[in-house]
Amino acid sequence: MKMIKTLLAAGMVAGAVANSATAQEETTSSTLYGDMQYVTQDMLTRADGDGNNFLHTNHNYAQTRYYPASQINTSNVGKLRPAWIFQTEVVDTMETSPIVVNGVMYVTTAFNHVYALNARTGEQIWHHKHSMGPVTTYCCGPNNRGVAVAGGKVFMGTLDAKLVALDAKTGKQLWETQIAEPELGYSETMAPSVVEDMVLIGTNGGEYGIRGFVKAFDTETGELKWTFHTTPENSVGVWETHDATGRDMLRDIEAEKAALAELGDPYETLGGGVWQNPAVDLETRRVYFVVGNPSPDLDGSLRPGDNLYTDSLVAVDLDTGEYVCHFQYIAHDVWDLDAVSPPIITMVKDENGNDVKGILHGGKTGHVYVHDADDCSLIRFSEAMVPQENMWVLPTADGARMLPGANGGVEWSPMAIDPNLRLSYVINLHQPMTYHVESTPYPEGKLWLGGAFKVIPEEEQWGNVSAVDYDTGQIRWKVRTEQPMIGGILATAGGLVFTGEGNGLFKAYNSENGSELWRFQAGAGVNAPPSSYTVEGTQYIVVAAGGNAQLNYKRGNNIIAFTLSD
Amino acid sequence: MRLPLAALALILAALPAAAQEEFDLEGTVAMCVSCHGEDGVPVAPEFPVISGQQYFYIYTQLRDFGAGRRDNDIMTPISADLSRDQAKLVAQAIAEMPWPEIAAEAEEGDRAAAESAFTAGQCSACHGKWQGDSRIPRLAGQQSDYLIQTMLDLKHKTRANAPDMSNIMADMDEDQIGAMGRYLATLTVQ
Repeated sequence: MKMIKTLLAAGMVAGAVANSATAQEETTSSTLYGDMQYVTQDMLTRADGDGNNFLHTNHNYAQTRYYPASQINTSNVGKLRPAWIFQTEVVDTMETSPIVVNGVMYVTTAFNHVYALNARTGEQIWHHKHSMGPVTTYCCGPNNRGVAVAGGKVFMGTLDAKLVALDAKTGKQLWETQIAEPELGYSETMAPSVVEDMVLIGTNGGEYGIRGFVKAFDTETGELKWTFHTTPENSVGVWETHDATGRDMLRDIEAEKAALAELGDPYETLGGGVWQNPAVDLETRRVYFVVGNPSPDLDGSLRPGDNLYTDSLVAVDLDTGEYVCHFQYIAHDVWDLDAVSPPIITMVKDENGNDVKGILHGGKTGHVYVHDADDCSLIRFSEAMVPQENMWVLPTADGARMLPGANGGVEWSPMAIDPNLRLSYVINLHQPMTYHVESTPYPEGKLWLGGAFKVIPEEEQWGNVSAVDYDTGQIRWKVRTEQPMIGGILATAGGLVFTGEGNGLFKAYNSENGSELWRFQAGAGVNAPPSSYTVEGTQYIVVAAGGNAQLNYKRGNNIIAFTLSD
Repeated sequence: MRLPLAALALILAALPAAAQEEFDLEGTVAMCVSCHGEDGVPVAPEFPVISGQQYFYIYTQLRDFGAGRRDNDIMTPISADLSRDQAKLVAQAIAEMPWPEIAAEAEEGDRAAAESAFTAGQCSACHGKWQGDSRIPRLAGQQSDYLIQTMLDLKHKTRANAPDMSNIMADMDEDQIGAMGRYLATLTVQ
């Protein structure tokens, strides 16, 4: 790890163009709410009941994305209108979750710009543009999914694999830390999470042969506190032949054992990125996250074994990063149908009908998985939310058709729940693809898919919004959308769920039955998770409309805040 | 992404003195532009625009030519003589130059055919808005003949330094490749 205080003169950063200290491009500061941008640990801990702020990427440590305010509700959502629109200077893919602290909103754009806005008016308070190093390596688009806030600081991961801390009042950079080497395929697009004195962050890079991790850094200094490698030195596992739903994955175990004897354990270039925020359980002091695909995506011949802990739910100790438990959905994945959508902690019914603390995850396979938080074991999986065909046919040189396509099911998009209705809300893709394999050696930082997944242009694509009863695994309601869905969803105590589409539509549904109650055309793809907040007694819904690079949805640069018209 | 001159100075400062003294950067860049164009417009339509191309992409191509991972009768011997640090200097100098405006026209139907092919290959996942970034090359405004030949070389694996691009191009036919090359050449450089 290389930590660089930004106060260092540029000349002291010998030979490191990436760390050029010419970065400070902050604009003016004009704090609008006194000194109330300071976020205490108590505020972060109690965020689930906070109907004024939106303090975490997924609203609270349990990541429920359930907002407790109900001023905007099923009876009046038809009167929802834009209160303001803020246009960033970057017209490109937007995945930011707006964070709101006492009337100040923090949003990010592609290529790591951060804006602080007056959440009531949309007026810009400050703008910080990260000084990007010359080497970036990322999939799938120059995305950023937002900031974390704590104390008087704002934290962001960057495409050149750094973690930066900014002054929340001014946007001035306080420190930056090099998390990993971008030339080898590491990058950051996820929002960090802050717990007490630690900033937690994973890494991208499963398409480049990285060794994945979750790291904890000191909030004050940026110093590394612990690292959990998502691919342990013994990544072989138990030679599991069936997936989490009991289907045969057609592995040739004998061939893999022979490859293991010849090649050794592949953990050093095995991938296992962590794309999204962990759920944090302060009661047990555990952190739950999901781990992405093994590298190379489609070629299993170079990585014999189960490829632990790829495609898994993993729990580690919050204070030390030590392993607690895991559950692997797909051992030795050769389809990139990995685990990306952030997990949710909530009470669920176990097999005997008893309430237990559970973990929910929406998989690219199209299932919602329900786990026992105690040992990560699987309690149940839901009905498939999208068509599944030909699973698990192995990729071939000429391409084998299988559904879901490699984007899911559920992509990185966070789910939401309504704990009163016991429903999880999920957005899905239906993208028929063929899976192709071609073995190539580790290319030292270049794209390393080991083949290709190709969309079948002649076949129809679509998406859906699904509500899944996590106590039974049954789908309560489902609404089909014109295009595959990517971005995220928000549930509120007003009986609503909000989510956007690639065609620019932003919609509100009745969370109980799925009836559409409101829609707005944003002019560019709405492919980011919505947030909500309340300022001076008025509740707002806010979302970014910037399109999406991965699915090539129309780009834009708008942050749009909605409230009820008179 | 373009680096400020201050960044180039930092690179220079970081290089061993011997490497700087012995290396004729100006002469090397002059050799580059003798084919790739002093004004950024290449002297032949099948030569790529490199003026204003992404720094890290140019650097990796020089390294790949030099190491034989990408083969070209002209570029391979030139690149083989460059050390890693010298290749960085050349790449930086070329990246700092402005991208030229070159008139290009697509044929009727090219846009629709190209966009269909982009969808099939999920091209935008890496190439975004076609402007390039770091190791991803700018494609917007590139010479169509070069783009088409490059895609064919990838398809037929005569260009071997981006194997996953070969996998993606494998099922593309020549009509699709032609449409993509002509359409990309017409796109605005941002």
